[in-house]
Amino acid sequence: MENHDQPAGDGARWMALAGGVGGSPRGASYACRFAGIGACVPAGRLTTDELMASTKYKTDIELERLTGVRKRPVVRAGEDSYTLALGAARDALAHAGIDAGDLDMLLVSSISRHVGGMRIQIEPPVSVSLKEALGARRAITTDISNACAGMLTGVFILNDLVRQGRIRRGMVVSGEYISELGRNAAQEVRDVLSDQLPSLTLGDAGAAAIVERAPDGAPGIEVAGFTTVARHSRLCVAFPATIGPGTTMHTKAREIHQAGTDEAVPLLREMLDQAGLQFGEIDYLVPHQTSVRAIRKGMEQWSQDLGATPKHVVVTVDELGNTSSTTLFVALWKYLNEGRLAPGDRVMLLALASGLEVGIVIFRPGQLVERYGHDH
Amino acid sequence: MGTIIEAAATATESSLGAVQLAGTAARFCLKRAGRTPDELDLLINVGVYLDNNISEPAIAALIQEDIGANTEQHPGGGQGTFSFDVRNGACGLLTGIYLADGMLAAGTIKTGIVVAADSDPDPGISEGFVFPAVGGAILVSADDQRTGFTAFRFATFPEFAGLFQSDLNWRQAAPDGTRQPGRNILTVNVADTYATRAADCAESTTRELAAASALDLDEVGLLVATAPVPGFAGELARRLGISAGRVASLPRSLAGAHTAAPAVALEPANLAAAGTTIFVSAGAGITVAAALYRG
Repeated sequence: MENHDQPAGDGARWMALAGGVGGSPRGASYACRFAGIGACVPAGRLTTDELMASTKYKTDIELERLTGVRKRPVVRAGEDSYTLALGAARDALAHAGIDAGDLDMLLVSSISRHVGGMRIQIEPPVSVSLKEALGARRAITTDISNACAGMLTGVFILNDLVRQGRIRRGMVVSGEYISELGRNAAQEVRDVLSDQLPSLTLGDAGAAAIVERAPDGAPGIEVAGFTTVARHSRLCVAFPATIGPGTTMHTKAREIHQAGTDEAVPLLREMLDQAGLQFGEIDYLVPHQTSVRAIRKGMEQWSQDLGATPKHVVVTVDELGNTSSTTLFVALWKYLNEGRLAPGDRVMLLALASGLEVGIVIFRPGQLVERYGHDH
Repeated sequence: MGTIIEAAATATESSLGAVQLAGTAARFCLKRAGRTPDELDLLINVGVYLDNNISEPAIAALIQEDIGANTEQHPGGGQGTFSFDVRNGACGLLTGIYLADGMLAAGTIKTGIVVAADSDPDPGISEGFVFPAVGGAILVSADDQRTGFTAFRFATFPEFAGLFQSDLNWRQAAPDGTRQPGRNILTVNVADTYATRAADCAESTTRELAAASALDLDEVGLLVATAPVPGFAGELARRLGISAGRVASLPRSLAGAHTAAPAVALEPANLAAAGTTIFVSAGAGITVAAALYRG
């Protein structure tokens, strides 16, 4: 972990900042890094043309033009939230080169909890069966839920515990079978003003991230922060469908995008200050993936307000849709596999989610890139 | 320096849904501690059975807005509130406290609240839902002088996963047309053997916690033991040899309370007088969470 200059003034931070502004008051602070990123992207694909041809009502919605989403992965028979999570967890373990028995903590952050097809499991927590299936014998387990920010919330929690030495290594995993929300929306959407329009962009995927103690001075997680701007808490709400199996989601899309864009500005500034960085020094910004247009509009405002632009902005929503809590890590996994990241790059993960949750993690991949067959 | 419990509170107004129950308990808890909502750096909701079975956003965010905790940003003007949900069944409150303890120890937060509430999401339609509607809240903070929580232990027993299961599943309309056009129905199934197995698992985990902490169970001043089945605390105390006078009990009307049960049991307790308190919760899974607290 690098030492950064302390921020000016009293160091007040609106975000809950891992380790506090000035470091841990109780005991040592270890460095922390990503040991492996895994994903399970189902092989099925549903194009936007196919989905829009399935709407119950004739609509004039040009979904692909509006969102940039051309297609999204969809589960096939036998796949659900649980199988996607399990596949992603195994992939992350394989890339990290560690045994599940070495995990001290296992967090499951799926929003969808389809276990056994369309059945939504409430109890026991999904983490109990995933722990058993993986053989994570000594892991403390719990499910967490924080909308599309769930996985990054898990990283925030694990990073905090690793830095204190309470755990050495932990995993957060999500499996999202949410294309069914799109199927339900297709039965009810009538026009572009429908509050279920965003459901038509959703795709299925599992993702997992392993966070571990790093040697002193090794590249890794540099800052991690989260906050909830709760005056926007009811802009996107999901609950069991009334028209059929599964779930429906109701979103005030324009309002939540604008709120996310606006609220993120001072928080981005805080985290950049904490890291001692300018926005232009970020090599890769991985934002939450709702639509190409939303990302572009957000970037325009952030670049204007922060006076710079990251060198690369990662967009995967066109090919993968919005895979909710897994989006940031599916994107990261894709870029790692494609050899696009260098060990010294500065990567910013930006979660913007219903709540309104804003989470920011800045890290350098370091040894992570070698795990994907790239040595740069 | 340790993580201490500043206050616990409950809410039982039968007309309220889970989100309101949790919010009301949170307000009571803050008032009891002499705190304002804006002092909360962290809000964790651990309730499982929620209004309309809502899955997004985190219920904690809704509660944060309802109680008015830093709902708008004032960058540079102090710390906001970070809210998320823990879904670890009846072990949720202790799990939430464990995560809050970690963030307090790290200096990530200074004050946190863990709230819980369950109520029947679909009265008259849900099947097997027997848990009393109650909300609870526990406020924790870092204290320079007092010890507070000293150890946690968690265990899972997946061989008993089938003894306590709940899910939402689509049920087609009844042939006689009484239920149209079909519905997602919450079903809770708790086997007759669950209570005994939960006590078995909780006993072993509690003994492990005591052994790892060099604690003689005779030294325990208070046992706060909860599970979503009536009679759990008494049974566990009997097995551990802890006398009835040292067991925090739930009011008869709230016996079998679910995620909020530890707050209900704790509300009238005096942790300082107890000296050493053991918290034990057992839930579906079977999961067990246990913690040791020095008042």
